[in-house]
Amino acid sequence: MPLGRGDDTFQQIDVRIAAVAFVALVAAIVQGWSWLVPAAIALVGGGYAIELALDDAPLDVAAPVVAAGLLLAAELAYWSLDERSHTIGDPGEGLRRAALVATGAAGALVVASALLALVDEVRGRGLALDLVGAVAAVAVVVTVIAGARSQPSKGA
Amino acid sequence: MTRAGNPRLVGYTTLAALGLLGALALRRPELAVVAAPFALVLAIGSRARHPQLDVAFEMDAERTLEDAEEIATVTVSAGRAVDRLELMVDLPPDVEVVDGGAARSMRLQAGEARGLYITLRCRRWGLYDVGTVRVRARDPWRLVTWEGRIEASHRLKAYPRPLTLRRLLAPVETQALAGSQVARTKGDGVEYADIRDFVPGDRVRSINWRASARRQGLVVNERHPERNADVVLFVDSFADVRDDDRSVLDDAVRAAAGLATKYLEHRDRVGLVAFGGVLRWLQPGMGSTQRYRLVETLLETGVEPTYTWRDVNVIPARTLPPASLVLALTPLVDPRFVAALEDLRGRRYDIAVVEVDPVPLVRPGQTEVERAAHRLWILEREVHRWRLETRGIGIATWGDDALDTVLEEVRTFRRYARAARV
Repeated sequence: MPLGRGDDTFQQIDVRIAAVAFVALVAAIVQGWSWLVPAAIALVGGGYAIELALDDAPLDVAAPVVAAGLLLAAELAYWSLDERSHTIGDPGEGLRRAALVATGAAGALVVASALLALVDEVRGRGLALDLVGAVAAVAVVVTVIAGARSQPSKGA
Repeated sequence: MTRAGNPRLVGYTTLAALGLLGALALRRPELAVVAAPFALVLAIGSRARHPQLDVAFEMDAERTLEDAEEIATVTVSAGRAVDRLELMVDLPPDVEVVDGGAARSMRLQAGEARGLYITLRCRRWGLYDVGTVRVRARDPWRLVTWEGRIEASHRLKAYPRPLTLRRLLAPVETQALAGSQVARTKGDGVEYADIRDFVPGDRVRSINWRASARRQGLVVNERHPERNADVVLFVDSFADVRDDDRSVLDDAVRAAAGLATKYLEHRDRVGLVAFGGVLRWLQPGMGSTQRYRLVETLLETGVEPTYTWRDVNVIPARTLPPASLVLALTPLVDPRFVAALEDLRGRRYDIAVVEVDPVPLVRPGQTEVERAAHRLWILEREVHRWRLETRGIGIATWGDDALDTVLEEVRTFRRYARAARV
């Protein structure tokens, strides 16, 4: 989506970023390098961030679509990596997984749209960036706590 | 079970953090919106709880035959719902899954129990510890993994596949108990031996009336009694020669198991000596219990490399009863085994050798030196064979032929060798 917008210079830069991200994603899937998946997604997100930084538009309404698209790409890439372990599954397992991924993407679209609408509403009152900053700080703290809790622990 | 984060967890955390930090740095809330779904998935995934799994591996069969199929059951139950449960049955190298795969995945509801049926087959005889199961449970968003391992709980004994044998090697001397071997001595039996003059005390039923009429005096029949024999299977475990498909030690053990079964069916006493780096022995005995003992001792037979000299003095005396038939199974690779056979022959044991042919399993090599070494090795084996034959030991090479054919060859050799010795 960012490729369709902006001037020629930006499009040339973004095409290169997208090409590198694509190669990284393919390498991740083919070689089983899971650490390359977030790198590829981050590259695409970086391209979008550059476009946002250069653009003076007040609020990009395409952000929810980008969010859903990135989540979908990441989910599909990780799913592909998960399937490298050759296990015989229950019938319909693939369809169920596909439905879950599609639901996740749709949910991401809805959540991101709601969040964008909220930002738009709050931004009119001048609190938008402060609120986003606070949310970001809280989210990072929560993420770190969740990461710490996921350390290996012995169970029954 | 061990809880661990998936690569997805690290990836989504990174992406969410980058998005939020980018939003702050660039003052663009759209980047926070882009990061929000990743953060949301992380928040949902971090709520995943321990699945409380209970996994059990069960197998009815404790004994099986080579290449026979046996069914194992892996039962798994979950206290909490598991979106994806992966079960991987780790099997020893010579045990394979016949249908399907050793790795399965499934979805379990809370409190649900499932049984997986896996058909196993042992490609080779031996003792196998089966039942090691690796378990991996994943949450719906694949952020967290619980991994566990259930250690092998079942010992499966794969017996060698039975060989078809129609006729066995008869020993030179028999023992005192009744059996199926025709003794060389004379006494009560079925097989006709000779006639002689009647002496007081002979039974009337043994009088040969036709011969008595011709001789004008009473003549009685003499017969060979049916007796049992002591047979000691002498397996060479000094060295093994193998390729991907075949091993001479495997073949020797299969032959030993087949011979033991057949001799025991004839009411003979059968013992075992596995002569090699580790000495294993079993005193001669009779019956089906002895058969199981023999086969299970054979299953433990393996090559333990040793460079020390070993002779027959290390074998317990009661394992080699006097007048027993020592039936050796060897690839004739190690001179220590040949020396042991010569030693036993010197102690007046009746010895026959089945040479399990290792030559087809050994490639001559590429270089001239390797080919010369191969020729020397073959010549060395010829020398071993000649040494045994000159001592009157019947020997035949078992390659692609049936074991029956090989035993017939040994039988023929023994017939003429015995005449020559006399």
